[in-house]
Amino acid sequence: MYENLLLGLQTVFQLKGIFAIAAGVLWGTIGGMIPGINATIAMALLLPFTWGLSPEIAVIMLVGVYCGGEYGGSIPAVLIGTPGTNAAAATVFDGYELHKQGKTGIGLYASLLASVFGGLFGAVVLVFTAVPLASVALAFGPAEYFVLALVGLTLICSLGEGNVLKGIWAGLLGILLSTIGLDPFAGVPRLALGTASLSDGLEMIPLMMGLFAISEVFRQASDLAGTGNELVKIELDTSFPAWSMIKSWIPCGIFGSTLGVVVGAMPGAGATVASFLAYTGIKKWSKDQDSFGKGNPLGVVAPESANNAVTGGAMVPLLALGIPGSNSTAIMLGALMIHNITPGPMLFISNPEIPYGIFSALFVANLFMFFAGILCIKCAVKVANISKPALLAVIVALVFTGAYAYSGEIFDIGVALVCGLAGLAMRRGKLPHTATVLGFVLGFIMEANLRRALIISKGSYMGVFLNSGISSVLFGIAVLSVLWALLHPLYGSIKARKSVPIA
Amino acid sequence: MKKVFVALALTFVFSIILTSSVPVCAETETNWPEKRIEMIWHSKAGSGGDIYLRALARFLEKKTGQTVIVNNVTGASGANAWMKVAKANPDGYTILGVSSTIVASPVVNNLTVNYENFDHVARMFIDAVCLFVAADSPYKTLEDLIADAKKRPGEVTLAGGTAGNIEFVAARELMKEAGCEVSIVPFEGGGDGAVSVLGGHVSAGVGEYAEIASSAEAGKLRILATFNKLQDKSIPTVAEAGYPNVTVEKLRGIFVPKGTPKPVIEKLTKLLKEAMEDPDFKAYYTANNLIPAFAEGEEFTKILALQTEQVKESIGQQKK
Repeated sequence: MYENLLLGLQTVFQLKGIFAIAAGVLWGTIGGMIPGINATIAMALLLPFTWGLSPEIAVIMLVGVYCGGEYGGSIPAVLIGTPGTNAAAATVFDGYELHKQGKTGIGLYASLLASVFGGLFGAVVLVFTAVPLASVALAFGPAEYFVLALVGLTLICSLGEGNVLKGIWAGLLGILLSTIGLDPFAGVPRLALGTASLSDGLEMIPLMMGLFAISEVFRQASDLAGTGNELVKIELDTSFPAWSMIKSWIPCGIFGSTLGVVVGAMPGAGATVASFLAYTGIKKWSKDQDSFGKGNPLGVVAPESANNAVTGGAMVPLLALGIPGSNSTAIMLGALMIHNITPGPMLFISNPEIPYGIFSALFVANLFMFFAGILCIKCAVKVANISKPALLAVIVALVFTGAYAYSGEIFDIGVALVCGLAGLAMRRGKLPHTATVLGFVLGFIMEANLRRALIISKGSYMGVFLNSGISSVLFGIAVLSVLWALLHPLYGSIKARKSVPIA
Repeated sequence: MKKVFVALALTFVFSIILTSSVPVCAETETNWPEKRIEMIWHSKAGSGGDIYLRALARFLEKKTGQTVIVNNVTGASGANAWMKVAKANPDGYTILGVSSTIVASPVVNNLTVNYENFDHVARMFIDAVCLFVAADSPYKTLEDLIADAKKRPGEVTLAGGTAGNIEFVAARELMKEAGCEVSIVPFEGGGDGAVSVLGGHVSAGVGEYAEIASSAEAGKLRILATFNKLQDKSIPTVAEAGYPNVTVEKLRGIFVPKGTPKPVIEKLTKLLKEAMEDPDFKAYYTANNLIPAFAEGEEFTKILALQTEQVKESIGQQKK
C-alpha cells in the first residue's frame, strides 16, 4: 500500500502533474464561481483538452477541477446571494446574511477553510477506509435512499421563517416540478405539454439560477427603481477571521465532512444532498437554532465542508466498484476510457498509478485550493464596489449563458426567466424558494427509489420503511424532526403564555 | 406525324438517360471528403457513444486527411441532435452517430423524428448485454435463476433499465421466452443497478458488459449469461443456455441524412469497414469490450425495424 502511495505521489509530484492540478483547481474554482457552471460542467468543458495528455495526468487534472468546482460555488453564494453551483445552495442562507451584515470576510473565509478542511478530510478517509466505505454505499438500497431523502426533506419544515406550512407548500411545489418529464418506469412523458424539451424534465441549473439569481436581480432592481441608482455603501470587513473563531468551527467541520464523505460514497446522492443534510443536521444539533439563517458562520461551515468532502467519497464507487456514482466521476471514467483504461477494482492491479495518483491528487488539490481560493476571493470582493445596475446586468448575462451552455437549448433560458418571476412572487409571498429547490433535488430521488422499493417489497409501505435497520432509524429521525418542527413553536407559545402572569 | 412524335419521345428519353447518367458516372468517382466532417452525438462528451465517435473520428482524420469533429448536441431526449442531422445538407459532411437510443427514445417520447428519417450506413458494434448476480448469490447458472422464478412467480427481482431501454427489453424478452415472471426494477443508469445487485437489494441485474466487466473480473459479480457472444470469453450466451430465440442487440452505428448520394455512402461504408481492421481503433474497441458486428445498409435497417417492434411491445406492456 505504501509503495503504491509513493507511486501516486510520484505521479503528482512532477512538473506536469503539479501544473495540471494547479491549472485544474484554478479553472474549477473560476467555473464554480460562474453561476450555471458547476464542477461537472467545468470538468466536461476541460475533457477534450485532456485527451492529449497521458491518462494519469488527465485524471489528476480533473480531480483538481472537481475540488475547485465544489468550492468555487460558495463565493457568489456569499457575495451576491446566488450559489454558483447547486451544492452551494445551502451556503446562501447564512453566507449571504453575513455579507449583508458587512461580515464578508467571515463568510468567505469560513467557506474556504471549511472547503479545504472537508476536502482533506475526505481524502484521508478515502485512503484509509475506501473498502468499508464501499460497504456503506452497498448497504443503501432503494428503500434506504428513499428514507434518506425523506430525512433531508424534513428541512423544509424549518425553512418557512416561522411558518411551517409555507415551507411545506414551497417544498411540495419543488416535488411537483421534479415530476415533469419522462416517467422513468412507465416510459411516458408527464406534464410535458407535448414538447420534446419538457419531456426531458426540467434541468436543475436553469431552475435554481432562476429561483435564486434572477429573482434576486428582479428584487434588487425593483428596490433600486425608486432610489435613482444610488449606491448604498456598507462597510465591508474582508479580513481573515481570528483563530479563536476558526477554532470554534472545527467540530462543525468534522461533522459536515463526515456526512459529506458518507453521502459522497453513495451513488446517486451527491454534493447537493450532502450540503443540505449537513445544514439540517448542524441546525438541529445547535443549541442556538434561531441564529441560523441570520448569519451564523456554522451555517456556512457545515454545507461547505460537506460538499468538498464529497469529492473523496465519490471516488469510492468509481475505484472500488468501477461504477461512477455521480456525473463528475462519470466524466473521469470517460477520460480514462478514451485511453482504453477501464476503471474498477482491477485498476489497483493493472494501473496502480491511477487510483493512487487520484488519492495523492486529492491532497495536493485541496492545498492548492486554499491559495486559489484566496486569489479568487481577492478578485471577487471587488464585486461589492461595482454599481448595482451594472452588477445586476452582468449576473443576468452570466446566468443566461450558464443556462444555455449547460444544455445548448434556448428553452432553458426561458426556464430561468420563468423561475425568476416565480421566485420573485415567492419572495413577496414569503414562501421560501430554497424549500422548492430542496423539494426538486430530493423529489426525483424519492420518487424513483420509493417506486423501486415498492416493487421489491411487493407494494408494502411498511416493508419500505422497515426494510432494514438503516431505513427504520432514518425513518424515526424523519418522523421526530417533523414532530419537533410542529410542536416546537407550540411549546414555545405555551411557555410564553405561562411566563406572562409571572412577569 | 407519329414518327416525329416517337422520335421526339425517344430523344427525350435518351436525353434524360444521358443527363442523369452523366453525373452518376462522375459521382462514382466522388471526391468526398473535401472539407471538414462533423459527427453529431446526442449525449454529453465523455459518454460511451461519444468516446466511440471520437475514436472513429481519429481514424477518419488519419485516413482522409480532413478534420473530423464530434459535436455533442444534447437535450430534448435526443431530438435536438437527430433533427439537426435530419435537416442537414445530405452531402456526407454531417454524420450521425447512433446507439439503440435512436430506436427507443422516439417511441417513448413520441418524437416526430425517428430512424426512418435517415439513411442507414452501417452498424459497427454491439455493446454486449449480460445477466449478472452478486458473487454470493445462490444462483450459479441461468437455469437456477429461471427455475426459482418459475417456483416463485414475481418474487425474483431484476435490476434493469427504464422502460424502452435495451436492458429492459432484454430482461423482458428472456423471461417471455423462458415462460416465467420476475419483477423488473428500473434503474436510470446501469451502474446504479449494479450497485443494488452488489448490495443484495435485488436478486439479479441486466446491464452492459463493459460497465461491470471489471467487477466481474475482480470476483464481486458473477455473469450468468450474455445476450451477445463475447470474443474469447467462456461465458455462455442466452442462446447456448437454451433460449436461442432471444435476440437483443444494443447497437452502435452510423447514419447520414436521407438523400445522401450513393457514392458517398459507399465510400463512407468502405472507410468504416477499414476502421474495424485499424490497429488503433481495434485497441479502442477491444479495451472497451465492444463486439464488432458490421452490418451494412438494408441489413441494418431490418435490425432497426425489429428493435422498434421490441421496444413498442415492452412499452405497451408497461402502460397497461
